[in-house]
Order: sequence, then structure tokens, then C-alpha cells
Amino acid sequence: MPGMDPIIDALTRRGAAQLAWLRGWRGFGRFAAVAIVESLTPATYNSATRSVVQKQIYFTAWQILPTFTLFSAVLSFVLIQIVVDAARNYGFAQHALEASVRILVLEILPLLTALFVGLRSGAAINTEVALMVVHNEMKALADSGVDPMRFEFIPRVIGGVISVLALTAVASALALVLAYIAVYGFQVWSLSEFNRVMGNIFDIPAIALLWAKVLAFGLAVTVIPISEGLAAPPAKLFFVPISVLRGMVRLFFVLMLVEVISLVLKYI
Amino acid sequence: MERAPVRAPLIKNMEFKVGLLLVLTMILAAGFLFYALFARGAFERTQRLILVTENAEGVEAGMSMTYAGFPVGQVKRMNLTEQGQVRIEMAIPVKDAKWLRETSVFTLEKSLVGGAKIRAFSTNLKDPELQDSAERPLYTGDAAAEIPEILAKVKAILANVNDMTKGDSSINQSLANVKAVTERMTGEYGVIGGVLGAPENARKVVQAIDHTNSLLTSLNGVSLKADGMLGKTDQRVFGQGGVMDEAQKSVVQINAILGDVRESLKKADAILANGQAISADVKEATTDIATLRTEVDDSLTKVNHLINEINRKWPFSRDVEVKLP
Repeated sequence: MPGMDPIIDALTRRGAAQLAWLRGWRGFGRFAAVAIVESLTPATYNSATRSVVQKQIYFTAWQILPTFTLFSAVLSFVLIQIVVDAARNYGFAQHALEASVRILVLEILPLLTALFVGLRSGAAINTEVALMVVHNEMKALADSGVDPMRFEFIPRVIGGVISVLALTAVASALALVLAYIAVYGFQVWSLSEFNRVMGNIFDIPAIALLWAKVLAFGLAVTVIPISEGLAAPPAKLFFVPISVLRGMVRLFFVLMLVEVISLVLKYI
Repeated sequence: MERAPVRAPLIKNMEFKVGLLLVLTMILAAGFLFYALFARGAFERTQRLILVTENAEGVEAGMSMTYAGFPVGQVKRMNLTEQGQVRIEMAIPVKDAKWLRETSVFTLEKSLVGGAKIRAFSTNLKDPELQDSAERPLYTGDAAAEIPEILAKVKAILANVNDMTKGDSSINQSLANVKAVTERMTGEYGVIGGVLGAPENARKVVQAIDHTNSLLTSLNGVSLKADGMLGKTDQRVFGQGGVMDEAQKSVVQINAILGDVRESLKKADAILANGQAISADVKEATTDIATLRTEVDDSLTKVNHLINEINRKWPFSRDVEVKLP
């Protein structure tokens, strides 16, 4: 049927794109599962992988620690001041501390850290892996007896998770100190009141949820760029930017998904 | 690009830095967990307090109970009993338990805005302390629940106010009367006019007062005259050359006369004594003469008595000596 060809073509393209999209997610899922299993296997940790993990942590966390700490401190302080002022204006001053700590420590700072690490190291990892695939380095590594998954990718995932954990911990601790100072000023006599409010916020489920969320963020910022890079077709250099683009969009989507799921679990 | 082999030589003490970061992260994570447990009172000894109420709307686990605005306990769990009452189990830190006494009262307050509040009130802190696992009623004070009642009362009050402000209300009539009284008060006869009601009555009172005034003036003149008369009488009776003065002089003269009379009588007595001696023989004659002499003596005694009597009755003339021979 001559008239139907364009429609069939369009449907075919649409179906292929859908399949590619699904394949991308399947690749991500498979890689994430392998990464989690491998990182929990003690045999993964030998001197070679340890070196890669160290480098990953060094570049992902240590290098940006001063800048990130300063940035998160400024942001935290500004947000706390806004919340405290608004709460006082509306007569809810007693809830100012609780509201600002909930907003910062439980929601904004973990997400901010993940975005920071994802945009910086995630993009770099995605590009690197895509280039390796394009240049057929994967095959070369495999031929020389080095399992790229085990010696290149899993250590990066572990390093990425630890980096996000470390940066979130530092930023959150700083935010708690700043929140105390913003609400009570430079004095120590309100510590018991502060402790009481913190006790109200951080019950065991809340802490467990926070840690799970930060772990998920850490996994996402490394697993998605690697799996997206691995999906790049060999010998097609022009595909590298597309791979990075897709990886970043997917990363953003996953981070938001994790955040929404955590909110749903907490408040519903 | 983070290709390790290229940059590796440039990194100094990478292992130490990464190790430091790892240790810091672990300390923060573990410390945070420990801190959260500490802040939630996991390491604090607590005692139980059961609060029983009909309606625990707004109460939730983790809510604080306050005493004088300070948190002294938390809601641990709540359940509904078979009798349809709510049992709220509170955890009171042992160090704060001293604020709760046997006589303490617990209230659940719900405000229009914001959450419910559980409050403890201890009026006498000398009462025995509240026992562990004590059960107390939780009184509910719901601001919103009272609104219909308050509205009903306000309506009644407004109706009363309406009645009061009507044209024929008692208050209006009273005010009209007050106005009439005060108008009279501002009239010719002032307050008296206001009190007595009519100007004629007031005029009579004023006239009476006027009369009394003139009467008092006359009385004053009378008393002045009386006063002058008394002064003159005094002058005439007791003054220099007055009645008393003259009387005194007369008495002095009488005294002198009587003194002379006594002299004469003494002479007569002496003559009579001689006559008695001469005519002693003549018995009859002598008897008559003796009678005569007795009579003369008698007269003399009387006169003497009279002089003494006058002197006694006029004491102010003491200085005037009656010279007796």
C-alpha cells in the first residue's frame, strides 16, 4: 500500500526510539544491580580497585570540599534566616528551627550535594566511558585480562557513593551549627532546647530514610553516567555529546524521582 | 577528565587526605546517629504518666507536655480503651518529674491556630511527687468549642443593650429626668430649685432664709444694747461713786453713830450704878431702877450685835476698821 509508507516509517521510528529508551533504562538497571552486588562483595576490594576508589574520592569529594562547604554554608545560612524571619512574622517562631532543619538537612542539602557531584564528576565519568567505548578501549582492556567493570567502573561507583555521603555529612553538620546560631545566637544555654527539637525531627525512621536517600543519590550520580556511556555505539565519536546529554537528563530525572519517593514515604 | 595516571604524580598525600575524609564522614554519620538517640532521650531515665481523656484530637506521639512553658515530657503512645476513652501514655524524664505533683492538673488546649498543647499545672510544689505510672484525667479546653456558647451570650447581651437604648427604655427616661433636674439646677434658684422641683418653693426657702437673717440682725442689736446696759449697771453699782460705794460710806457713818450711842449708854450705865449704890435702902425704888438698868444693858447688847452684823454682811469694807473703844 503506497500511501501507508510514511505512517509505517513514523511508527517504526517511534517504536525504535521507545525501545532504545527502554534499553537505556534496562542497561542502567542491570548495571546498577551489578554495581551494588559487586560493591558489597569483599573480593572487589584489592589494591588496584582501592587505588581507583581513592582517586575517585579525591577528585569527587576532596578537591571540591572547600568550595562546596563555603557554598552550602552560605546557602544554608540564607535559607535559615529566611525561614526564621518568616516564622517570626507569622507567629510560629517556635517552629522556625524545626522547619529550617527539616528543609535543609532532610531535603535540600542531600539533593544539592548529589546535583553538585553529578554535574561535575558525573558528566566527566559519562564522557570518559563514552570515549572509551567509541575508541574500543573496552575490548582492549578485556583482551589484556582486565575486567573493565571490576577495575574501572565499580570502584568509581563506590568512590562516588562515599563522596556524596561525605559531602552531605559535612554540609549537614555545618547547617545544624548554623541553624543553632541563627535561632539562638552565640550562646550555649539553649542546647537542651535545641536537642529536644532535633530529637523530634530525627527519629529512627527519619535517619534511616535520610541515609537510604543519600546512598541512592550516590549510586545515581555514578551509575547513570557509566551505564549511559556504555550504551554509546562504538566508533561513532559524534555520539559522545549525545551520550552525556542523555546521561545528565536521566540523572536529573532519577534524582528527582528519589527525592519524591522519599517525600512520599515520609509524609504519606 | 579524571584519568588517574596523568595526574597521579601531582597529588600529594592523596591517601592521607582520602582517609581523613572517610574518617570524618564516619565520625559524622555515627555521631549524628548517637546525637539523634541522645536528643530523643534514649539515654534518659523516664517515668510513665497516663492521661485519660474523652477526645484526644490533635494529640500525636512525640508531642511535648509543657510546665510553665518548658517541655517536661513527651507523648509515647495513645490508645482507645473499651470504654471509649483515650489513654495517652507520657514519658516524663526523671529529672523533670519534680514539677509534677499529686495535685497537678493536666489540660489539653486547642487553639484556633496552631496545634494542640498539653499543659501541666502544679499549684503547690510542696505536695508529694507524682508516682510512676500514675493515671490522671486530661481536661480539655477547646477554644473553638466555646465559640457557639460565646456567640449565644453575646446575642443576649446585645439584646439587652438594644432594650436599654430604645426611646422608652428606663435608662432613657432616667436620663430625661436627670436632664430636667440639671436644667432646674442651672436656673435662678440653682441646686435648691433642682431639689424642690418648682421655683415658687425655692423662692419661699430663700425668703425664709432672708427673714432669718434680718431676725438675727435685730437680735444682734438687742444683745448689743443689753451688753451696754449691763456695763452701765456695773458702773453704777460697783464703780467709783456708785451705789455700793455710797452704801459703804453710809455704813461707816452708821458705825460711827452707833459707837457714839454705845459711849452714851456706858455713861448712863455708870450713872445708874451710882444711883443704885445711893438709894440701896429704898427697896421699891431700887427695884424699878434695877429693871431700868437691865433694859439699858439689853439695848446696848443689841446695838453691839447690830454693828457686828453689819460688818459681817459687807465683807468688802473689811479694810474700814470699826474702832471700838
